[in-house]
Amino acid sequence: MTLELSRLAEQMREMGQELATREEEYAKLIAQARQWLAQYADRGEQLRHPARAFHAAIPTDDPLDAQHSLPGVPERFTFIAADGAEIQPDSHEMAYYYLINVGALVYRHGSGQTPEAHSQPTIGYTESDLYDHDQLVSGNLLDIKRDLTEITRLADLCAAEPAEATTIAVVDGTLILWTLRDTPPAYQRAKALDYVRQLDRIRETGAVVAAFISRPRRGEVMRLLHLANEGSEVKQANEKPNPLRHLPDYAVFEMLPPGARSALFVSPASINHDHYAPVHTIHFFYLNVAAEGVPPAIARVEVPAWVADDAERLALVHGAIVAQARITGDYPYALVRADELAFISSPEREAFDDMVVSSLVRAGVPTALSPKKFFKTLTRQGKRKFR
Amino acid sequence: MSDKRLSVGRVLRAGTQGFVFGCEALQPEIPKFGTFVRADGVAPGSAIYGLIYDVSLEDDLFARHFIGADTPEEVVRDQRVNRQVPIEVSVLAVGCGDRETILHCLPPQPPVTLDWLYQCTDEEVRTFTSRLDYFQLILGARQVPTDELLVASIRNAAEARTEREGEMFLVDAGRELARMLAGDPLRLEGLLRRLRAA
Repeated sequence: MTLELSRLAEQMREMGQELATREEEYAKLIAQARQWLAQYADRGEQLRHPARAFHAAIPTDDPLDAQHSLPGVPERFTFIAADGAEIQPDSHEMAYYYLINVGALVYRHGSGQTPEAHSQPTIGYTESDLYDHDQLVSGNLLDIKRDLTEITRLADLCAAEPAEATTIAVVDGTLILWTLRDTPPAYQRAKALDYVRQLDRIRETGAVVAAFISRPRRGEVMRLLHLANEGSEVKQANEKPNPLRHLPDYAVFEMLPPGARSALFVSPASINHDHYAPVHTIHFFYLNVAAEGVPPAIARVEVPAWVADDAERLALVHGAIVAQARITGDYPYALVRADELAFISSPEREAFDDMVVSSLVRAGVPTALSPKKFFKTLTRQGKRKFR
Repeated sequence: MSDKRLSVGRVLRAGTQGFVFGCEALQPEIPKFGTFVRADGVAPGSAIYGLIYDVSLEDDLFARHFIGADTPEEVVRDQRVNRQVPIEVSVLAVGCGDRETILHCLPPQPPVTLDWLYQCTDEEVRTFTSRLDYFQLILGARQVPTDELLVASIRNAAEARTEREGEMFLVDAGRELARMLAGDPLRLEGLLRRLRAA
């Protein structure tokens, strides 16, 4: 073992104390945030314009402190979840390639049928796979490719459902391609367009789409409350430090009753307004998926405008996600399974590497790890002593 | 009686004394304790015969989550049909053979990993149990519920025959056991009582 746990004991003790102290401070700040949420509940219209400039959650027609109780769901509906995993390209490997594996589960509520489990792996190895707009596909760019593969898979599965079926498609994470922020404008536009086309495909099937984020860290509502407390003045809000800046939004919404959701907000992300608007403008709400008598479990749910603006579709997303989450307790069952179907375990990774070697040998391509990788394989397996 | 040849799973681990195979889901007939199974040997045309003596389901943390809860039927089906929770089935090797002969002895080589394992057809069971020397391999096996396995295998062999032939087989099997366990009358009595109850 090279991680000397004994050297961490003191730091661990200090960490525990620090967290306990922070909890007390946060409790006061949360109380403050809830007070502002109620105090400025009807200032939505006044805040809408400055909120976008301040990169805060943009209010909709809902009062800021609105609470929407759990709606009923149809006796039968289909919940399709997708998630993705990847193997990043590695120049130290025997060949330069990447792998994307998308897992998906089609769960038909109330049918008594066995859900459909899908797992679809794709290797990227051609020049056109490895270079996109002359940029090497790795890191964030591979994440974007994985997100696109996931939403395309969801659109395919929605299209395979009968037209009369009530279907909800859900991705794990976000509908906003945040990683595009650091890419050139032409690339950003092209990828966002690809993504939006898939949202269009889902819409055309009659299904609804949403993203589910468990324990989200975003703080856009906290920024909105600070702005509201500074009289909706962006300049003033920028100059004064936000006392709520370290609080995640979900902390404030832990007061939501079981099954209830918060008001709807619009994401202030510039990608959202530049590329998703107006039809697919991403809205979000916070949702307590926990049942009565257990601690709240707050998730952030994102939906495009065509779902947010339709009360029936929005109620379906709300009710269906809670119904799925209540199967496990507090997380949608189909998303757990989609993650499991996408996950690439260590033994699977080893078997995949063996397949790569075999195919290279058969094709007469010389195979060798880089010296760095070779020695890592020697030192990272079955090590018993660190000195 | 049945003459269909059913694949029951693929070999996971193997030795000359026995092997373990995995299958994805329990079916009404397979895998069942005391069933005769057959795997192809490494040599062309060769076969290895065995008896299932243990069927176990691996523990699974996610499946545990649903114990005691009011679990929807869709989840139960997903866990049983789709999820890769392998059922491990242990087999005691009791014979081997080629196209012409069957020997009641340990095979010279185990089957190969991921080879298919089949449930023996009634005809294969009748051929294999036309002699009863394999009783000795069961009685001598360690970490196997030998008496239960012997009784189950005798019952299965009798069921692979017509009613009259089955009765004659049971009598022959009882006589063979009496000869082998002449020095252990208590154990013999227990075995015969269980056979009569079958």
